[in-house]
Amino acid sequence: MDSSQLDTISVKTSDNVTLGYSVAGLGSRLVAQILDNLIALPLTLVAILLYGALASVFVTSSEGAGFAGAGAGFFAGFVYFGYFFVAEAVTGGKTPGKSAMGLRVIRVDGSAADFGALAVRNVIRVVDVVVLLIGIVVMFFQPQTRRLGDLGAGTIVVRDRAMVTLAAAVAPPPIILRTPDAGPPIDGIDRIGGFERDALRVFLSRPGLSQKLRAELAADISMRLFDRLGIPTGAPERLWPPELFIERVYLQLDQRHP
Amino acid sequence: MSLDAFIAERQARWAALEAAIKTAKRGRLRNQPASDIERFGLLLRQTSSDLAIARRDHPDAPITEYLNALCARAHPLLYRGRPWRFGAVGPFFATALPRSFRAAWPYIVTSLALMVIGFIAGWVAVFVRPDLRASLVPPSLFDEMARGQIGSGVQDAPFAAAFIIQNNIRVALICFAGGMLLGIPTAFILVTNGWMLGTVAAAVALGGYNYQFWSLIVPHGILELSVIVISGGTGLMLGDAILRPGQLRRTEALARVAVRAVMLVLGAASLLVIAGILETFVSPSTLPGGVKLAIGGSVGLILYSWLLLAGRSPRRRRVSAFDRPAETPA
Repeated sequence: MDSSQLDTISVKTSDNVTLGYSVAGLGSRLVAQILDNLIALPLTLVAILLYGALASVFVTSSEGAGFAGAGAGFFAGFVYFGYFFVAEAVTGGKTPGKSAMGLRVIRVDGSAADFGALAVRNVIRVVDVVVLLIGIVVMFFQPQTRRLGDLGAGTIVVRDRAMVTLAAAVAPPPIILRTPDAGPPIDGIDRIGGFERDALRVFLSRPGLSQKLRAELAADISMRLFDRLGIPTGAPERLWPPELFIERVYLQLDQRHP
Repeated sequence: MSLDAFIAERQARWAALEAAIKTAKRGRLRNQPASDIERFGLLLRQTSSDLAIARRDHPDAPITEYLNALCARAHPLLYRGRPWRFGAVGPFFATALPRSFRAAWPYIVTSLALMVIGFIAGWVAVFVRPDLRASLVPPSLFDEMARGQIGSGVQDAPFAAAFIIQNNIRVALICFAGGMLLGIPTAFILVTNGWMLGTVAAAVALGGYNYQFWSLIVPHGILELSVIVISGGTGLMLGDAILRPGQLRRTEALARVAVRAVMLVLGAASLLVIAGILETFVSPSTLPGGVKLAIGGSVGLILYSWLLLAGRSPRRRRVSAFDRPAETPA
């Protein structure tokens, strides 16, 4: 967790702990926008149709038809932009599209986006969308992918989804094994226990060791194990490749000390 | 402490915090009992402290990333601004809106000045080039006034009102949002609105229809133009924060101003509903011109009494120890 990364912002909390928020990228925000449009545009269409139906029933003059037509257009705009505002205000910063992408609007100080901030970013959405999609251009160049509405409101869209689960974070690192079975019982295995098992696990779960270094370490560890286990010179275990020997000792210890 | 011991000792409370985040509905803890919120705060503080330890001792361990993500998700649930409630609407209109109107006076005066400049320019343009009058002012307006048709009412009034209200709210919000483009669109809207009114007013004055015309404008116009001027002022506030951020960073200066400005423009824009109803049902009605002018004047008087006077703190009489009446010996 490097706070100097461009796609994270650091927030110092009142407990004097720095939290890193990972900033949503342009791609996921645009996908969220498309998903939201799949809801907002049909909603807008329904609004226009309702307005038109109302007008067709009640309008009596050509002058009134002109008012109704232009009014329906404005109403469509209010419904379209209102969708985003209402959705964010009701859910605390997650429109359905953002929710699907695991995104959330917060303020840059890490607190939840309040009514005023959401009002600002959604009124300014009009400029972001209508003026040549300037919002996308600003997001492209802004290091934290904020559009004009975000800059005005002091908000930022972050990833809200847990990337690491507790189970995955506390699980011991995976063990790199080349042999699936524990092999024949090794004499003197009861002379060592869980402590040695843990030490061997550290070796076996070590990623990124070069072949040469791993072989050297394995030779060294297996020599010590021969002494501890009291394996005589000429015993078959001494003829196994050192890495295989270590893996078999580990698996047998793991069976005996669950 | 070894990583395994650290995890074993504390993972129960991390799991508890994670479970508490899941129970929060719609990004809020509001509907939970106070004891649960208190416990949430405790868990968050403990987990933040665990995060600080993990950062120091195990900076690259997956558990550090996990704890950061956990605290990052929990933090906005607890730290948030004042929530919006329906009960806050009354005090907002009673005091907060007039106060922020008065606090924004330099911008509102500037906004008014831009509109007046447009008005004067339009007026002068018509007087200098009366031959252009036909292209500046729709001739149908003169025909109607000459025939005395003004005051015949509007057909399909509800749709006319809906159109007028929505159009004006749209203009008001664009005036605010235009602030993000340094207030240039805002200034343009203010000047052009002034220009249109100025050209029409000058043409009407030349034609000698002043009374008919102003009785058609004033009933709704005072309220409507005031709201547009206020909205323009909020846009200028944003533009000024970007151009002259002072000691702050531009984004910070902007964000500080914007939340105040948006509440002002939203509050003011809601008055456009009243203006639109006046524009549909009073201005073009068959009421005598004098009554219409009186209605417009009363609306203006109420509007500015409210904006200028409401929410002022009462001037307290200074009371000090010296004011106490001297104790008279018995």
